[in-house]
Amino acid sequence: MAASPSEQPGAGSSEPAPKRRLLPEDRIGAVLMALLALITFANVVVRYLTDQSFAWTEELSVVLMVLLTMVAASAAVVRNSHVRIEVLIDSASPARLRALESLAAVASVIAWLLLAGLGSRLAWDDFRFDVTTPGIGLPQWWYTIWLPLLALLLAARSMQRLVKLWTPKP
Amino acid sequence: MTGFLIFVVFIALMVAGVPIGISLMLGGAVGIGLGGLGWLAIPNNFYSGIAKYPLLALPMFVLVGAIFDRSGVAKRLVDFAIAIVGRGPGMLPLVAITVAMFLGGISGSGPANAAAVGGVMLAAMARAGYPPAYSASVIGAAAATDILIPPSIAFIVYSVMVPGASVPALFAAGMVPGILAGLALIVPAVWLARRNGFGSAEGNEPRPPFWRALREATWGLFAPVLILGGMRAGWFTPTEAAVVAVFYGLFVGMFIHRTIRLRDLTDILVEAAEVSGIIMVVIALASIFAYAVSTLGIVDPLARAVLDSGIGSFGALLAIIVVLLFVGMVLDGVSIFLIFVPLLMPLMKAYGWHPVWFGVLLTYMVAIGQFTPPVAVNLMVSARLAGVRIEQTVPWVMWLVFAMLVVLVALVAVPDLALWLPRVLGY
Repeated sequence: MAASPSEQPGAGSSEPAPKRRLLPEDRIGAVLMALLALITFANVVVRYLTDQSFAWTEELSVVLMVLLTMVAASAAVVRNSHVRIEVLIDSASPARLRALESLAAVASVIAWLLLAGLGSRLAWDDFRFDVTTPGIGLPQWWYTIWLPLLALLLAARSMQRLVKLWTPKP
Repeated sequence: MTGFLIFVVFIALMVAGVPIGISLMLGGAVGIGLGGLGWLAIPNNFYSGIAKYPLLALPMFVLVGAIFDRSGVAKRLVDFAIAIVGRGPGMLPLVAITVAMFLGGISGSGPANAAAVGGVMLAAMARAGYPPAYSASVIGAAAATDILIPPSIAFIVYSVMVPGASVPALFAAGMVPGILAGLALIVPAVWLARRNGFGSAEGNEPRPPFWRALREATWGLFAPVLILGGMRAGWFTPTEAAVVAVFYGLFVGMFIHRTIRLRDLTDILVEAAEVSGIIMVVIALASIFAYAVSTLGIVDPLARAVLDSGIGSFGALLAIIVVLLFVGMVLDGVSIFLIFVPLLMPLMKAYGWHPVWFGVLLTYMVAIGQFTPPVAVNLMVSARLAGVRIEQTVPWVMWLVFAMLVVLVALVAVPDLALWLPRVLGY
């Protein structure tokens, strides 16, 4: 469902997919995806076999889903497969293309750094005030700390794109 | 003034090719900063935008799509359909549309459907004498019924955004319009084939024996029964239905059809993770935008201006449809929802439009946009598989767009086309 399926990964097995290099983010994302499926499936099985649900796993699943989103988004920065309007980009001259791609990278760096900075304040508040999670009762900052950390990763990956754009090709 | 700036920043960045999510977030951040709404609203809304348990259905159905794409189910369904309708000019496009609709009852996204059907049908259609550009058009359009026929990722996103529109109700509401859309596509597809003498070589192709085709297709035929029936019977929530489908699809693919090997699992998981991440990060970032827009009260005056203009419920609806037709050409479905649903909600309330019906209508517009050139995600996939350029599909695909528009008129005129089934099922 992306507007930029130039590198749409959902294009299926039927075409000769170029063998892609797996990033660390890909491996983590795959593990998180598998965990989410297994936890949810275990939930269904347990509910039917024992008449009890472990609703507390919902809290865990939700956090894993947030981690999955940010980790996978980071891989998508490297592959430049984030959803965007490509009308201007498709028709741009090489010089303008680089300018537009740079703008996109700079905007991404700013957005993710903003989120990292503000997210760390959020996590710090959770830590300072001993906020606990509603479901399991764990310290809330165990969850919220990942928001600024992964936002930093996303900022770094966006920065990496910018650097690559301006590194002369040999 | 602040409201104006939010939209200027957002639209300028978006048009320049900045990722949609980033554009939305920075627009929202401008609003939050200037409006003094408190900076912590940014991380708070990012987190709460996706930290919702019902949203888990989204990555799970993306995973279902990635698995069934490789499970060999599409090929067996095609053989079975050919065994039923037989060989002859115009039959293969009919089969392609029917199988795409059927797969729509398993997967939840258009491009995955186009890839699955295109991978199986395009070569066969080329052998039978259908031009690739025509075949790509038919498959791209047929795959668009996927997001209407339940399960549907578009409905899950809409449901998370709109109170009063539950996932089961939306799923049920999409069924009839989705089937009608598929039937409407068959008419021009077959007519075009007949008129131009496509598929003249089709009669020479072998016809699969009925009973063997049925036996082979049974596993695939059972999948929608499991997913939709399980939800209907109250066995599973949508998320649970998805995860049951994940393991069912893996079982069929690995042990029955033997098309998925153990090492393919990594590819499947990586692909599903990336597709999910790309969608959900926009949802997270868009909720910052939505928070700024709604907290600053920008939309209500806009809605009031529309109400006071006196164009009435029907006029407003018509305007929305026309705008979305054009926007759908350049924007993908989830982004359309994330941008437009917060803007249209006050109008929906003011005119008393049913949220479920309105969701089906918006999804229908997105479905049309998925195969309307120049930017059309489904068509992009099927055209690439067929080895044609998008421009070459225009003479064919326009007829299909027209057929979908006819059903759209019916859907606007008779809301019960969407609302009847959820009412009967008691959602």
